[in-house]
Amino acid sequence: MTRLMHSSNPWTTICVAVAIIIAAAGSTYAEVPLHQRIDAAIGCGEATFEQHAADDAGDAAFARRVYLDFTGMIPSSTQARQFLADPSPDKRARLIDALLRSPRYARRMQYVFDTMLMERRPDKHVKADVWHEYLRKSFSANKPWNQLVTEMLTADGADEASRPAAKFLLDRELKTDPVARDLGRVFLGRDLQCAQCHDHPHIDDYLQRHYHGLAAFLNRSYLFVDPKSKQSSIGEKAEGVVKFTSVFTSEGGETPPRMLDLPAIDDPPPGKELYAVKPEKKKVRTVPIYSRRLQLAVAMTDPSNVAFRQNIANRLWALLMGRGIVEPVDMWHEGNPPSHPALLDLLANELHEHDYDMRFLLREVALSKTYQRSSQYKAGAENVQDDQFAVALLKPLTPEQLAWSMMQATALTDATLADLKAKQLASTATKDTADEVAAADATTVVDDPVWQEQALHDALKRHVDTFVTIFGVTGIQTSRFDASANQALFLRNGAVLQSWLQPNGQRLTSHLKTLERPQLIDELFFAVFSRPPTAEEIEQVTRFLETQQENQDRAVGQLVWAALSSAEFRFNH
Amino acid sequence: MMRRNHGCNPVEHIMARRQFLASSAASAVGMGVLGNRAQANQLQRQEKRILQVFLQGGVSQLESWDPKPGTVHGGPFQAIPTSVPGIHISELLPHVAQRMHLLSIVRSINIKINDHEQGRQFMEKGRRVGDYPYVGAVASKYLTPPDSELPGYVHVSSRGLNDVAGGAAFLGAKHSQLKLIGVQPPTNLAAPSGLDDAADVDRNQLRLEFNQRFAQRRSKALTEAYDASYHQAAKLMGRKEMFEGEASQQDLDRYGTHDFGRYCLLARTLLENGAACVKVTHHGYDSHAENFNFHLEQLGEFDKPFCMLLDDLKARGMLESTLVVIYSEFGRTPKVNVRYGRDHWGTAWSIALGGCGIQPGAVVGKTNDKGTAVADREVDAGHLFHTYLQAVGLDSTADHDLQGRSIPIGDPSVAPIEELLA
Repeated sequence: MTRLMHSSNPWTTICVAVAIIIAAAGSTYAEVPLHQRIDAAIGCGEATFEQHAADDAGDAAFARRVYLDFTGMIPSSTQARQFLADPSPDKRARLIDALLRSPRYARRMQYVFDTMLMERRPDKHVKADVWHEYLRKSFSANKPWNQLVTEMLTADGADEASRPAAKFLLDRELKTDPVARDLGRVFLGRDLQCAQCHDHPHIDDYLQRHYHGLAAFLNRSYLFVDPKSKQSSIGEKAEGVVKFTSVFTSEGGETPPRMLDLPAIDDPPPGKELYAVKPEKKKVRTVPIYSRRLQLAVAMTDPSNVAFRQNIANRLWALLMGRGIVEPVDMWHEGNPPSHPALLDLLANELHEHDYDMRFLLREVALSKTYQRSSQYKAGAENVQDDQFAVALLKPLTPEQLAWSMMQATALTDATLADLKAKQLASTATKDTADEVAAADATTVVDDPVWQEQALHDALKRHVDTFVTIFGVTGIQTSRFDASANQALFLRNGAVLQSWLQPNGQRLTSHLKTLERPQLIDELFFAVFSRPPTAEEIEQVTRFLETQQENQDRAVGQLVWAALSSAEFRFNH
Repeated sequence: MMRRNHGCNPVEHIMARRQFLASSAASAVGMGVLGNRAQANQLQRQEKRILQVFLQGGVSQLESWDPKPGTVHGGPFQAIPTSVPGIHISELLPHVAQRMHLLSIVRSINIKINDHEQGRQFMEKGRRVGDYPYVGAVASKYLTPPDSELPGYVHVSSRGLNDVAGGAAFLGAKHSQLKLIGVQPPTNLAAPSGLDDAADVDRNQLRLEFNQRFAQRRSKALTEAYDASYHQAAKLMGRKEMFEGEASQQDLDRYGTHDFGRYCLLARTLLENGAACVKVTHHGYDSHAENFNFHLEQLGEFDKPFCMLLDDLKARGMLESTLVVIYSEFGRTPKVNVRYGRDHWGTAWSIALGGCGIQPGAVVGKTNDKGTAVADREVDAGHLFHTYLQAVGLDSTADHDLQGRSIPIGDPSVAPIEELLA
């Protein structure tokens, strides 16, 4: 039996070798595109690696995968057919570029980063819709990660413009525990929770001063509620220190703000005035001259804070590959090192050098052979470990991906969009039938992908919310898959999916009813699985339809249900 | 790589030695090749099960099982005598006190963890770190009767706690917990209108055919977990009426109409219907402030309904075959903080347990006079894990036998609390 063992990891050696080559070759090597360097760091081309590594996924699986990763839903049957029919050799790269520029990319990243940053906690001070819109616009403009984080950590929420960005801090109510812990987990990839009361008992490198150093950036900040408007925002005092005592050793200390092991950031000598806005019987939001809180974003995004770029590089990798180079993505410590340290450094440094352009990094990863491998292992290679990235991992669809993909497969998306367009045109027409310019504008509007995406999103959002309630997990997000009986009951018996299977209007089921059997089966497979059926599958489905002669309408509904409920549909594979 | 014990039912491997010896002494039948099989069948016929009552947030040992009235950290509440001479517990548990002869207390737990999530994981898995199954999932695997209509491990709670993979780890999603949020049947329990049973079977068969093709040369863990959820759903659909049964007025009078009372009633129904492990979570013991008011209220809610459930299990003759455990993720600091709260404390605290396989009316271990350290018979969640499983007749020192991999069921570095076992 052949095995790739984690412990005697031959790839570590290769990774180190790659790192040395990168260092030695300098700029000439750097001209090799990043995706090729990613493959080299994973081991592509090495005989011992390729022996176990899966084959290329093929065009259909690639298209489904990249549509799900970059637009958050499967391709429509037409899109899948078009991609397969395209004979050009660079079609994968072109599809990646097209999807990264589509309005759905920003929507997908809105979902991903909302889940990552807020972890599906209930709304408190900043409404979800303005926050979602802020994220969507940020990704639409491809805002660099360091800029996005700076905005989130400096916004005080006192004016409407800064409220959305202040959600991370405001909805955690500036409480030391969730804020300091989540700063460590979400932005630095380190869960320092146990260092709160004592140096971490089992993880040597998590120290109390790491946790309290982070807490010290924010210990003077507080949730201010305006007495008149009742609006909450962030106020800050000019004084206050963070003291800590170990519950085990009674050793203690005082710490100024500090980013992990970087030098502490001491307060400047106090001037005559401590406040820009002075305290006044708790009725005002105090603003100090020197703000510790405003130092947080500076220290966080400073190039010396390597953990910041490693964390986001690792999280973006995990988003596409189904597993972090450090896994879990928020548990980086000596006992849980990266599987491919050189690769992680490479990704982190490239991201840094490209001004935290996340679209660049996602594009390069998606272009790699590593991303484009099949999720089927080679015969005899069933024991390849997940952290070798030699076989594509099954990524469970997020609740949002599952909702949108089911709506896409059942053609609820197409049917709804057609209705929305018609309504928009009709409303323009009724307003001023004589105005030809307005009518022409309306036509332009309904053909605009941005308008289409927004209109469709607004129309179908309630369904997405339903799926989030059923399939979402509140709190720390993991890449682990968990399926409950409740979820299966929702898919088996729930009214939502059943209504999508009704053969009304332009739905998939009503379209399938109009087709003869071979075309029916072909269209079913393209609509649901984004691929043509195999000969065996054609036989299988034909047998099913033949046993259901007496009620073909119902049979078509059952057929689509069975496909939607299958494992192939549930995962990004 | 170890390969072991092929060709027989895993339940046979973990039959507790104690039971083996007991029944071979009691019976004249020789223990030949068939003996083991008979043991396994007997075990399943006995339908042993576990009831876990989880006091979430960390109940204070000083306000429950290990009161220290009149001492520096003792707090305002008194200790009261119980039905077992010599055992005193907090006055906040008057009904439990009358039934102390059915339960025992372990007063010397030191888990060295003060974090909710890590403490809970340790208490459930009997391991500090690593991806091991919870007690409930182990019970589901080895104690679920073959014909059971219910998932083996059911958790009744007012809100979701995030249990990765439902606590099943490598035992698979079949043994992951079914979470019931309160006393409600799982939603969507009825098949869609217009779909008769035969059609439902047909569409499901087609789904399985699709899955079969997809599973070829792919890692099975995720797809099997997904399929298991459908399987579990189908079983629940078959037992719809169980969740719809209204509680009788008599039961409501005894258990109370508040959430925890209703959860205990549901737990009774689930246990009667073959669930191998029912966990009921009572939320709200994390009393960093106002510890005493909180415990007065919380334990006031816990005390009577729990005792009614205990009485009913006894009256139905089920207590001998049901292990009952009342536990938390840790206890609370002896030192009262400035907000009259007690904080997280894994260092010296207590649980109570009784029923199947447990010596009743015993106290194991003790803390020092101020309650600040374990003074005698220190144990941790590893010892408790072994003890629970041995109590229901499983050999916790045996291995899970998983397709060529052997994984010790309990942590091999610790042992059960022998003096607690009946």
